[in-house]
Amino acid sequence: MVQLKVTEQQGIMEKLGILTDAAKYDVACTSSGVDRRGDGKGMGNTIAAGICHSFSADGRCISLLKILFTNECIYDCKYCINRKSNDVPRASFTPEEVCTLTMEFYKRNYIEGLFLSSGILYHPDFTMELIYQTIYKLRNECRFQGYVHVKAIPGADPLLIQKTGYLADRMSVNLELPTAEGLSRLAPNKHRKNILAPMRQIQNGIKVNKNEIVLYKSAPRFVAAGQSTQMIVGATPENDYQLISVAESLYQKFELKRVFYSAFVHVNEDKELPALPGGPPLLREHRLYQADWLLRFYGFAANELLSEDRPNFNILLDPKADWALRHLELFPVEVNRADYRMLLRIPGIGVKSAQRIVRARKNGPLHFEDLKKIGVVLKRALYFITCGGRMMYNTKVEENYITRNLLNVKEKLPFDKEGVTYKQLSLFDDMGFSMPPSPSDGMKTLSGQL
Amino acid sequence: MEEYYLICEDSPEGIFTGIFEAYAMRKAHESIHIQVGEEENLRLFAVYSHIVPDPEKSLRVSSTLERRLGPEAYVDICCALASQDTEKGEAVYKTVVCGFRMKDGKQVMGNLSDPYVHKVFELARNVKNEAHHWKEFLRFQELESGVLFSKIGPKNNIITFLMPHFSDRLPLFDFMIYDENRKVFAVHPASGEWYLVTDTEAETEKFENYAKDEKMYQELFKYFCKTIAIKERKNIKLQQNMLPLWFQEYMVEFGE
Repeated sequence: MVQLKVTEQQGIMEKLGILTDAAKYDVACTSSGVDRRGDGKGMGNTIAAGICHSFSADGRCISLLKILFTNECIYDCKYCINRKSNDVPRASFTPEEVCTLTMEFYKRNYIEGLFLSSGILYHPDFTMELIYQTIYKLRNECRFQGYVHVKAIPGADPLLIQKTGYLADRMSVNLELPTAEGLSRLAPNKHRKNILAPMRQIQNGIKVNKNEIVLYKSAPRFVAAGQSTQMIVGATPENDYQLISVAESLYQKFELKRVFYSAFVHVNEDKELPALPGGPPLLREHRLYQADWLLRFYGFAANELLSEDRPNFNILLDPKADWALRHLELFPVEVNRADYRMLLRIPGIGVKSAQRIVRARKNGPLHFEDLKKIGVVLKRALYFITCGGRMMYNTKVEENYITRNLLNVKEKLPFDKEGVTYKQLSLFDDMGFSMPPSPSDGMKTLSGQL
Repeated sequence: MEEYYLICEDSPEGIFTGIFEAYAMRKAHESIHIQVGEEENLRLFAVYSHIVPDPEKSLRVSSTLERRLGPEAYVDICCALASQDTEKGEAVYKTVVCGFRMKDGKQVMGNLSDPYVHKVFELARNVKNEAHHWKEFLRFQELESGVLFSKIGPKNNIITFLMPHFSDRLPLFDFMIYDENRKVFAVHPASGEWYLVTDTEAETEKFENYAKDEKMYQELFKYFCKTIAIKERKNIKLQQNMLPLWFQEYMVEFGE
């Protein structure tokens, strides 16, 4: 049994405050990816779609009790509030405290489960062991069957990561920064290969486990809800094309469930960090989430959305409309005949409406009124589609004309145009953008917290 | 042509019995209408009849629907019947007619260009969304007796959709959800099966004797919610879009 630093003089309220505050910059608060019924002998289950239980004042979803085990840390990452050289109040939970909070919150329906991360106390192994013991207690002594998301600590003994993976629903290793150069500049104690190694280990663990499950139905599940990661956006000079290409290769080569993007929040004064007078780059983060959706659900590839010559997203139009406007030769599309993949590429048509169209048109040709009922956003789609060979209005299929009209339809952004967006406009101006594009993912992609 | 109005009780049993009687009339379906509850403005030249809910007829209808329209449409119909919308009876009835006329009745919910099918689709979606919201947002408070108690004020009649969910999560707890709009309690005894109790005289004050730690956990959670927000990203409008204000009065973290 490892020994903890004694912090008994702090009450539970104070610890919760310190260790929540220290955990809040971690983005993932999803409880999705696995359906598991309770066995009747404990407490909790999990729902594949995930459940949000509240929303904080920044509009982000609260699904899990998101805390650090400790905010003590031996590292000195320049962007991180918990860096060694910062003079902030420090605290550590005990495994018992984490278990009690989780159980008491869960039974009152405050949360879906626990998200446990940690600063590095003494050594990665020591920290990972603490996390493992906490989750072990929660699962076996408290018989908690709800959702558990834990961080795999880079540099920790693979055996510890393996053992933890059999208790957790999701594990994540933070990529932190999109490129190795960025990482070495801002996180001198972290190394790219130490981050990718546990990621690969978890990926392989999940694969092996899938085979075990086929052989033995009752085999324990390993990270059943898959793994995720996150990248900080705007702390280092990478462009959107680099970011989205990294995300694409994480999905393809590491089979991640989710990549999260976190607009850089300026919490430390350090000459290596950008000033960002306009606040965190929220619009940029939003565009990245929209593009991320296009990669995962709409069949787009990163190099269709951006390129070396056009490395950043258009601030005025969403990535899908932007793509469509650059490929007007493919439009208009006949809704009654186009295949599912093409339907998905039409601005104003989302995954659900594309599925409904494919189904509904079996009963006879669809008209514009039907599309409206199905949930197609006609004021966006009308420039790109025909129904029975006709366009909805007499419109031109011409880039400037459509761009102008799409811009007249106000895009639903998760933040005020007045506030953040204008500041961001000037930020992007400096970067020399030159594009036009549309959205359809609605509120949920906003914070990227489906 | 004469129009026939079948006035049914506001329950799945009442409306299913109405559908049974509508088919038994052997008249054109276009001339028959199902109405839930009393009509305020009686129409000229219309024949009104009151339908008494009949468990046997209702069961025959429900099993026929499940068989011929398939589980997906059946679930949508059941959800639509939990709606607060007063035209749900007519929408469900005409959707059934539409489904029975199709080559493959199981595809009925895909036929969104039919106005009644579309209506059922909308109602079901609305009910499912509300049920999902309560799964997210309802809060239990621990009473002195150890019972977990939650008061909700749903627009649609969704309490029966919540119980399987919470019974699976909290099998070892005595808990109770109270729909204050319909004066209905759903009760789950530890390790037992849940059931409904209607009590129009209920004194909910007796559910305000909290366990001694209850206040502390409420305070802890409130503090957690406050601390987790990033002040540089503050966005109350987004918060309210995601979590409509009318839910907030039922949530401990938004109390004073």
